[in-house]
Amino acid sequence: MNSPSQSHRWIRLIEPACTSCMICARECPSWCISIDSHTEPVGGLPPGARDRTRNVLDRFAIDWSLCMYCGICVEECPYDALEWAGDLTQPRSSSELLVEEMVEHTSDATSR
Amino acid sequence: MQRFGFDRQEYRVAMRWVDWYGDASLWVLDVALACCTLEVDAAAPVAAVPLPVLDDRAQVAVVVSGTVTDRLAPAVAAIVDGCEQQAGRRPLLISFGACASSGGPYWDSYAVTKGVDQLLAVDAYVPGCPPPPEALSAVLDQLVGRVPS
Amino acid sequence: MTEVSPVDWLTAAEALQADGFDYFDWLGCVDEIGRRDCLRIVLVVRNLGEDAEPRMLICSLPRDDPRIDTVSGVFAGAAWHEREVAELFGVVFVGGERRRLLLSPDFEGTPLRKDEVLGARTGMNWPGAKEPGESEASPGRRRMVPPGVPEPEIWGDRDSSQPPADPAEVAESAIGGRVRRTRR
Repeated sequence: MNSPSQSHRWIRLIEPACTSCMICARECPSWCISIDSHTEPVGGLPPGARDRTRNVLDRFAIDWSLCMYCGICVEECPYDALEWAGDLTQPRSSSELLVEEMVEHTSDATSR
Repeated sequence: MQRFGFDRQEYRVAMRWVDWYGDASLWVLDVALACCTLEVDAAAPVAAVPLPVLDDRAQVAVVVSGTVTDRLAPAVAAIVDGCEQQAGRRPLLISFGACASSGGPYWDSYAVTKGVDQLLAVDAYVPGCPPPPEALSAVLDQLVGRVPS
Repeated sequence: MTEVSPVDWLTAAEALQADGFDYFDWLGCVDEIGRRDCLRIVLVVRNLGEDAEPRMLICSLPRDDPRIDTVSGVFAGAAWHEREVAELFGVVFVGGERRRLLLSPDFEGTPLRKDEVLGARTGMNWPGAKEPGESEASPGRRRMVPPGVPEPEIWGDRDSSQPPADPAEVAESAIGGRVRRTRR
């Protein structure tokens, strides 16, 4: 059974749903969410259509040493790109290691 | 440390330690500063007692649980120093919860030290607000080598 | 709720105590900057014997020189509350204890006044300052400020030919708010 104490232990990013709108980073009271993104032109438009761009998420990180697990980011995301999960964030030997990078870079040679 | 008197015997006997595994191999003292201490309390398997004479191989750990205010920061440093004096060995220092790790949600306060590591070297940072009791048990197991980390 | 002038503060507190309201509940302060240019001291006392509503005594003090008599001679428990108000708002309680209660001895400032800006927020890079589609601060573009930090033209990046911002301007600008609501 997933009791609240078992399920509110981690916050997971659903990357395809994120539009880099910055709302979670702006609403977070602890300033623990860091986001980098860039714009790319949208291809495959019908002839005569005006140019359009979309945001591409490059980096989404949560600093777990600051996070107070309030869930405001989960609630505020307009695209439901953040959700609660039950995995316990592991302790680390340095606070820098508590910054969790949540964007997969499969094109990087050194992807984790 | 002199200013807070933690070098004095009557203060030292007030320090209480938990015999974590029940075999005197690991003694744990909680510097109980704020809400996180309730989780440390829930994790502790037995009540804390004054520190007995230690075996050479025994380890000691100090858990800082809660917000370190600027006003109390010297006292926290003095307590840990007093722990080292009392145990005769350097304790493992565990920063338990967001406040102890970085100041947590109060990082921007005019009165908060941004993490106990501003004062002391930390061996393990446990995230959470608060972390569940099992997070303390797990990190202690890892630090003393009872489970592969 | 009764408002009295500073000269009548102590006698009003004594009168309440004589009237049976001898249980000290709390003493606090409200910075009214933006509405009125004053600090309001609030004293709440109770009559535990009778089924009566608590009584609230209020006094408005000028922000530039807030002085008021201590009531710790009437209600001993007020001493700690007065020390807290003194160090966080800069109020002087005449005849009262001057020692700090919560802040470290070398702390400077009156942090609960609304025109005092939270330094940590101005010093740190706010992750929310970036715009969607951005990875670094682009120079020249107006940066969004986080709640708690006044707008740059009021504080921090103010035009040097203008006089310094008055406390009401700073306090109002620092309010910020949840970023998804439209500002006034």
